[in-house]
This record gives sequence, structure tokens and C-alpha cells, in this order.
Amino acid sequence: MNSGEKVAMRKYFESLPVYSEFFDEAIDAIIVAMDSGISAEKGRVLIELGSTNKDFWFLKDGFLKEMYRSPYAKEDSLFNMIPPSSIFVNEDTLFSNQRPQHYFTAYTSVEILRLKEAEYMRLLQKYPVVINLLYLSGTAEIQKSRRERLNMLRMNKTPNRIEWVQQHRRELYHIMDRITLAQYIGVSRASLYRAFEKNKKYQF
Amino acid sequence: MLTQEEVERLHYGLLSHIQLQGDVEVQALRELSSKFTLRDVPAGHTLWDLNSDTGDLHFIFEGTFAEYLQRGTHSFILRFSRPGKFAFSEDLLLYSKRSDTYSKALSHSKVASLPSVHFQNALRQGGLGAKLMEVLINLSMTEYRNTTYEMLQTSGTNRIHAALEQFSDLLHLIPRRELADYIGISRASLFRSLKEIGHE
Repeated sequence: MNSGEKVAMRKYFESLPVYSEFFDEAIDAIIVAMDSGISAEKGRVLIELGSTNKDFWFLKDGFLKEMYRSPYAKEDSLFNMIPPSSIFVNEDTLFSNQRPQHYFTAYTSVEILRLKEAEYMRLLQKYPVVINLLYLSGTAEIQKSRRERLNMLRMNKTPNRIEWVQQHRRELYHIMDRITLAQYIGVSRASLYRAFEKNKKYQF
Repeated sequence: MLTQEEVERLHYGLLSHIQLQGDVEVQALRELSSKFTLRDVPAGHTLWDLNSDTGDLHFIFEGTFAEYLQRGTHSFILRFSRPGKFAFSEDLLLYSKRSDTYSKALSHSKVASLPSVHFQNALRQGGLGAKLMEVLINLSMTEYRNTTYEMLQTSGTNRIHAALEQFSDLLHLIPRRELADYIGISRASLFRSLKEIGHE
């Protein structure tokens, strides 16, 4: 990994609530074990996360769309947007040994780093407590973020949802086009456009 | 205290969520199961509330609970806990902070509860405790993911369909006002959608 990638990775670990200097040795070992950057152009599906892939992925730069197949839609739907400095995984494969129901596409050009499953297992043997804590803290952050967004999706007025994204997902708000924003907040395009017409402060 | 039969029932319930490796972990889970206490919770009573200061881990034997999130003066349902599932305050149990949710029994329920001190002890010992923590986080993530699917439906009718797919008895468990809040639509829209799908 180059120095920029190492710095990005270290910053991520240091941002976790569980972090202390006691973790530094294990974090250094993780960084050494990670693959160099993989780039993908805007629109490309990340086929690297195949059906049996249990690697840990770190989005260093750019934005990803996490997509799924909704039984109520003709086309695949947006589940979530992944911002830079995020860990992402094949959740179904990693947690329950099932085929992934989600896949990832590059919303902008992206750079990603990878910790292979075999490397993770090796590090887990060597630093069981720290690696477990980092894993739990990392997944807990994803869970917290998911719960916050779910609370937004329960707001029954479109303007309230838009304001939530403006306040709590600022970098996403600036990068998303209106169609993606409508999908992200679970409203129809017509409803989003009506809200924008009524209120100028939503303008990008 | 739990009877031997109840300990066994709990043990197998927990086993359905946790993948154990080796006899040591099997034994550790059996010991942990024996530290749960069983209680009946009448409909309307809480498992934990906004003033609770210890995060116990609950395993539902019978009945259904709704976890409410307090936002200002209003509270709305965040998620449900059903038989064979865990119920816990994420704030209290995972993050050791004041809970912004409370959990209320929607029907008469039977629950096995592990006091916080035993959960924390298991966690400090690593092994089974770490696995249990991982399971709880993963279950929450999966629940939130499934509920997000419902909430991403732009039509009220589809949201109701998606919610009923997860909980077929939802319409009988909670008042319509709470149901409208749960699926994030207005009451008028809820009544229109229910009529459309033949439930009103």
C-alpha cells in the first residue's frame, strides 16, 4: 500500500469508538496485510465481491451504490450509499454463508482496498482480542448508521427526510443526483420534485 | 431460577443463533444459560424503559414486544421482538449509554433475562462473550436491513405488503396510529392502502 492508503486506513481505525493506542500494533499488522488499491470507473459493478467472497473491503475514495433486487420493482433498487472511509462486505456471505443479496456499483470513480479473509483469520489468531474489538466496533458503527437512516425513512413528510440528509449525510447530499436522492430517502421522484419546487433551500 | 427443562430450551434457542466451536464453548453456553432468570411480562409492561440503567439481555420464549424510540414527546416503534429472538437495548447493552428506547409487551409474554453483569463478564472473557456480541450486532443489522427494504417502498400499499410479509399479525398487534408511524406514512394514506388491499 502507498502512504496515502496507509494514512486513510489508520484514520478509519482511529475514528472507531473502541480505539486506543493499545491497538496500534495490530492495526499496523492489518495495514501491512492489506492489498494495494483497486480502482473502478463510475458505473462499474464490483465483481470482485463474488458470491463466496468474505473479504473485508475499505472504500478509500469515491462513492458506492449498494444495490438489491426488490420484489416490488422492475429494476434493481438502491439500498444504500457508501461514502469514503467506509468498510463494506458481502453481508450475507460473511454472516450467514448465503449468496449475497446485494451488490456494489461505483457511483463515482472509486479506490478500494482489501483485507483477504485468509489474512483476517491469520490476524485473528495473532491478536484475538484487538481484532475482535475492531470487528465489533466496525460492525456496530454500520448498525448505528443503519438505524439512524431507518428513523429518517419513518418520517412521513418528504421535506423532513430531505432535511435529515442535508444535516446528517452532508457529503452524500452534495454528491447525489435527484433520482438517487429520491431512492435514498424512499420517495417517488414526483414527490421529491414537488418538495424541491416548494422550498428553494433544498437546492444543491 | 430456571428449571432444567427451561435451561435446555434456552440453551437450544441460543444455539440456533451462535455457532460454537469445541466442548469448552458448549459448556460455557450451558453455564451462561443457567444464569438467565425467567419471568412473565403482562401486556403493556416494559422490559426496559428510558430510566433503566442496566442493559440486560432478554430471550423471548412467548409473546411479542415492540421497541419504541422516543423522539421529543413522541415515540414510535423501531422494531419488534418475537419468540426465539433476543430483545435488548443497544444503547445500554452495546454502548453503555442511556437508552433512548423502551420495550413494551404487546401480548402476555414469557422472557428469559440475563443480567447485565453476567453478559459483561462473558464479554470480558472473550470467546463465547465475543461471539454473542457479534451475533447481537449482526441480528440488529439484519433486522434493520429487512425493515429498510419495507421503508424504501415508495407506495404505502407496498410498504404494508412488505411489513406483513415479515409480521403477518402486525395489523392485530398495534393500533393503526402506531402502524402508520411504523411504516412512515400518514394515517389517511394508511387507511387508503389498507382499503385497497382489503384489510379495512
